[in-house]
Amino acid sequence: MTLLAWGFDGLLLLGLLGLAWKALNSTDLFSAIALFIAFGLLMALVWVRLEAPDIALAEAAIGAGLSGALLLAALARLRGMEGNVTSNTGVEEAPNNIDARLVQWLSAILLLPVLFGLVYGVLSLPGNAVGLSAEINANLAASGVSNPVTAVLLNFRAYDTLLEVFVLLLALIAIWSMGSIQFNRSIETIGKTSLETTSSVLDTLVYLLVPVLMMVAAYLLWVGAHAPGGAFQAGSVLAAACVLLLLAGWPLHRLLTAMRLRLLAVAGPVVFVSMAAYSLIAEGALLQFPPEHAGTLILLLETVAALSIAVTLAALFSGGQGQHE
Amino acid sequence: MLQAVIADSHWAIILILLPLAAAVLCFLYARAANIIGVMTLSALVLSVAALGWQIRETGVYHHAIGGWEAPLGIGLYADGLSLLMLTITAVAGLGISIYATSYFKQQDAARFWPLWLLLLASLNALYLSADIFNLYITLELVGLAAVALAALTGGRDALAGAMRYLLATLLGSLAYLLGVALLYHGFGSVDIAILATQAEPVPVLWVAFGLMGAGLALKMALVPLHFWLPATHASAAAPVSALLSALVIKGAFYILLRLWLEIFAPHSGGAETLLGLLGSAAVIWGSLQALRQTRLKLLIAYSTVAQLGYLFIAFPLSTMAGAAVWSAAGYLALSHALAKAAMFLAAGNLMRFGGHDRIADLDRVVQRLPLTAGAFALAGVSIIGLPPSGGFVGKWLLLEAALTQGRWELVVVIILGSLLAAAYVFKVLGRAFTQAPVCQKARAVPARMEWAALLLACGAILLGFLAPFILPLMDIGDPFSASGVQP
Repeated sequence: MTLLAWGFDGLLLLGLLGLAWKALNSTDLFSAIALFIAFGLLMALVWVRLEAPDIALAEAAIGAGLSGALLLAALARLRGMEGNVTSNTGVEEAPNNIDARLVQWLSAILLLPVLFGLVYGVLSLPGNAVGLSAEINANLAASGVSNPVTAVLLNFRAYDTLLEVFVLLLALIAIWSMGSIQFNRSIETIGKTSLETTSSVLDTLVYLLVPVLMMVAAYLLWVGAHAPGGAFQAGSVLAAACVLLLLAGWPLHRLLTAMRLRLLAVAGPVVFVSMAAYSLIAEGALLQFPPEHAGTLILLLETVAALSIAVTLAALFSGGQGQHE
Repeated sequence: MLQAVIADSHWAIILILLPLAAAVLCFLYARAANIIGVMTLSALVLSVAALGWQIRETGVYHHAIGGWEAPLGIGLYADGLSLLMLTITAVAGLGISIYATSYFKQQDAARFWPLWLLLLASLNALYLSADIFNLYITLELVGLAAVALAALTGGRDALAGAMRYLLATLLGSLAYLLGVALLYHGFGSVDIAILATQAEPVPVLWVAFGLMGAGLALKMALVPLHFWLPATHASAAAPVSALLSALVIKGAFYILLRLWLEIFAPHSGGAETLLGLLGSAAVIWGSLQALRQTRLKLLIAYSTVAQLGYLFIAFPLSTMAGAAVWSAAGYLALSHALAKAAMFLAAGNLMRFGGHDRIADLDRVVQRLPLTAGAFALAGVSIIGLPPSGGFVGKWLLLEAALTQGRWELVVVIILGSLLAAAYVFKVLGRAFTQAPVCQKARAVPARMEWAALLLACGAILLGFLAPFILPLMDIGDPFSASGVQP
């Protein structure tokens, strides 16, 4: 059994390194992205092996799934802009080959001491980390949930999560500040270039998958209180459903006009900040939840946050800002 | 009655939540962004003042978020050092904000304000955090907002500069995060105060410091990691350049200083010598590069590289005379923020006026744009370190420490840096009096933009007189005592 586990881990490790190397070396952007997605899936397996199912879920949904979709959407737009990007990079690289090689070797040599330092540091660590699990388990009862990861994210260190929710909003604002693509037009370009010919298959897939994805998102949200799951995972699954609808050419932009899109995107951050302010006044500490209501409050926070996460990720994918009425 | 209210209120939390809420408001109601923004900044200046009064009367501010005490929860902490950085952010931020209301057109203002308010909130959160993982999140927020702001003008240069900045700042954040992971694994906490008591001179501590130091130095553009700064700071819009040079860089410095004072200084193993060496290199190299530039904004950007070097010169000096040297560095950071903001804003005025920032073609701006020229000159006085200015106080304290410790090489660097700074400031001012060979059309500059630059520059000068008042405030809670010397 242990031998099997060792073999599996070894394969995972080699696969990871190989995929990373191939993705970095690939001159074709499309295959680099495909390799990156595969890398994310293997990474999710690694988290499973490290007994961190929460991170595995997040990695699979966000690291492999949505990041991959975002990269592909960006690539589609790049191609729309200036012809075939991939062939461009291939041609341009030829004259600079020697320079690029030199830079690669130099940076490799510079990175070697960093690598040795890291390895030395990690090997010098005690095998069993001190950690805080004892402390967390001791206070779990007062946190309102029984999943320690959710307890940390939404209660003990809810302030971190408050800021994280703003990171996502900031990403959306940042991307919107760079250009003003219309929500609907950008979807059309993605939809038309890649998927128009297969529309009947796609439509069936949408009818089957979207309800299932919504169920899964709701389940992940609910189950987060006592098992792996939670707002980020649920939000990204819901976002995947939105992305699928966008790809199939569903008129989401008619539903999500400019103002509605913005309101949904800020709903999570606003609820978080309001709750922070309210708890400061009512309980005397920022984001302090009374134990008897903590479970409900956390579920409320997570639901709104998941909605905002889903809408924000879908908006990032489409790139557009929504139509003004 | 009023005093009791001020003493019992959570000013530090207002400093975080208020700009977050204002950013959301600006995002939703873009039309009112200017008004919301300036009102928020004004409220923040008052809140910082109230926080200063509060911690002077009742000692350092500590708040356990969620009611969970340290190893489990996250703490907010405000002492004299935090107060200093919060003051820099609020005061320079207000000046830049007032300038921005005139600088940006309606459409650009709608893009500028939510990003700037989020940047402001994350900087405030950074200065108040007592938890190294929480600091990482604030660092991410700061970096992301700063990159988006740098790309705001949308030109080819700005986008390329912003992309380079994004890669540099992400790499810096990742190195920092790796250090956090190592410290947590090694010592079982991410709370700075607990880490301070747990830290031992073991390999993991040194590796963590190497990673975090390198990551933060990259974010601060310490020579030789300064490759991204000049292009980014020079190609951004004027108010954004001012924000990046005056405020954003200081965030990374604060984290480095705080970690150094609390955790790493007792086990440094000679790292301060290296930091001092790089700082000296930054002073000389940055100043020389600034002198070589033909574009005003690039000159000012290289001047930032040079002036940041002074903050690192404080590291080797601090082993012998801790608190005094750090007060000097803090004072330098404060006056640099005001002076550099004024300089970039003045450069923005000149660009608006003549449509270019070529130093050789400044064409008698002293007569045609006297307030702006005055702002640049006053800011220059502080950057050089001439009396009476904030820059003078900081450099003088630093020089005094170097002299009493007999560190002649640092004395030479400090003086040489000032001489070079004088050279590049006068290079600009000299051109401001002469007539340019080509005739130029000039556009009007709104009075508000001229006054904002001038007032910030006057602030930098005024700091020269306020030292007896400000230096004791910096010492509240003894932030600098950890590196004090055991004989």
